[in-house]
Amino acid sequence: MSVLKVELRKLAAQGPILALFAVCVFAPMLVAIVLGLQDGLPKDTLFGRYVKDSGFALPLLVLGFVGLWGFPLLAGMVTGLVFAGEDAHGTWQLMLTRSRSRSQVFSGKVLAASLTVLALLATCAVSSLLSGLALSGDRSLVDLTGSSIGGRRAALVVLTSWATAAVPLLGFVALSCLLSVVSGSAVIGTGGPVVLGLLMQLLALVGSFGVATNAFLTTPFTAWHGLLRDRVYIAPLWQGALVCLVWSIGCLLAARRLLLRRDVT
Amino acid sequence: MPSAVVARGLTKAYGEQRALDAVDLTVAQGTVHGLLGPNGAGKSTLLRILLGLVRPDSGMVELTGTVGGFVEAPGAWPYLTGRQNLELVAALDDAPAEVEEVLRQVGLLDRADTRVKGWSLGMRQRLGIAAALLRQPDVLVLDEPGNGLDPLGAREIRDLVRDLARGGRTVLLCSHDLAEVDELCQDVTVLVASKVVWNGQMDELKARAGRTFVATSDDARAFELAVGAEPAFGGFTVAAGDLDAYVLDLASRGIAVRRLVGEDVPLEVAFRELAT
Repeated sequence: MSVLKVELRKLAAQGPILALFAVCVFAPMLVAIVLGLQDGLPKDTLFGRYVKDSGFALPLLVLGFVGLWGFPLLAGMVTGLVFAGEDAHGTWQLMLTRSRSRSQVFSGKVLAASLTVLALLATCAVSSLLSGLALSGDRSLVDLTGSSIGGRRAALVVLTSWATAAVPLLGFVALSCLLSVVSGSAVIGTGGPVVLGLLMQLLALVGSFGVATNAFLTTPFTAWHGLLRDRVYIAPLWQGALVCLVWSIGCLLAARRLLLRRDVT
Repeated sequence: MPSAVVARGLTKAYGEQRALDAVDLTVAQGTVHGLLGPNGAGKSTLLRILLGLVRPDSGMVELTGTVGGFVEAPGAWPYLTGRQNLELVAALDDAPAEVEEVLRQVGLLDRADTRVKGWSLGMRQRLGIAAALLRQPDVLVLDEPGNGLDPLGAREIRDLVRDLARGGRTVLLCSHDLAEVDELCQDVTVLVASKVVWNGQMDELKARAGRTFVATSDDARAFELAVGAEPAFGGFTVAAGDLDAYVLDLASRGIAVRRLVGEDVPLEVAFRELAT
């Protein structure tokens, strides 16, 4: 727990983290303001055509958009600061010459990065929902099968949809952790997940990988679509959770092993 | 005197590059032990192994009590103040010293609440020493602690090291400042090309490299028998290392030794002899 507290205190003192929280708070508001001012609607995006009909459409529009590249960037930035930040400042020896074992340091760092990205996700979700409600009120939402979802249930579905993004987001934390430990570079730790995330989405779009795309870490970011149907379809959520679990365990075990054996020179 | 550090047969290679080759090290408790060697001799690797930062390929290390310290530049989180840095470090230790007390010890109290980002190398060095002291280590490893410090600051750190040793701490001091090592250390280990070439008392090292003035009953013959003898007023000088064999040789040839006076040499001379 002491490592977790130390890591959270360090994160809270860093400008990029404060900037990320500011973006998560203000970016959805800005989107709402821009949409409110313009006559047209972003009809080519999911729920774009409904943003002025229901306040529950905007948070889903934002969720669909940030799932493309925003979440991998979020995970990469936070985890890169937590792990590769020590390489950048030459502070590994400060951490690893104390009473805590390398294993404890690793666990504390992973936990701190995970909690921070989840807090950012929650901030973005709440800000998006409030911005949507401020823009268009709590009128019913039309789901992907054309049915109408009432106010309270719509709010629940929106928040659940955002919550499902936590699973692949944690998968990207694990991936970034591995990249940071392997490279010792904040650039690779931060940018690596974004590049790999975009690559996976590109390959999924090309469409020649068939069911193999289900193993991509980016695919579960769209699993929430199944919640917005007449008959809720949760199989992609379970499938996505399993995929993320495998990615997370694999990346974390490899990263832990590397950190435990690493020569700090 | 019991040993605080015992290392036997330490070997470490980075790829093809051998950093340590069967290195032995014994550091007596409550002493200041110097570690000398030219650049690339393996000093930093040895210190990192003692601090648990690097794993040796083979060999063993036994430490009595806790170990703390830093190797090369001590790191710090630049976005935090000096005090915050130490508070976080203290949170990672089981029984840390008071942050206020170590700040006072290293002379950082008046700048402790400013961000480390704008600090000079000397101030960061002091912070590194403070972080090491927080752990209240039984064995303190310091790598170039006077780096970046002005003469007055360097003197303060030397006094601090001396006080720590008086208080029962063992200090392993790695420094290129031979005057500093000469002043502080009772024992010294010299590493050259990944191997230990000297491990013993400072006085012995200096005596080994020194020269001895000799006056005999037949200086002309005695001079011829000596290797590397140099003329001197009233006699001649010989290398201290060959002295025993030389005196016995003179006695066997019936030449009486009338005076033998050892000359003190700076550590630099002794180090140069070993390093070249």
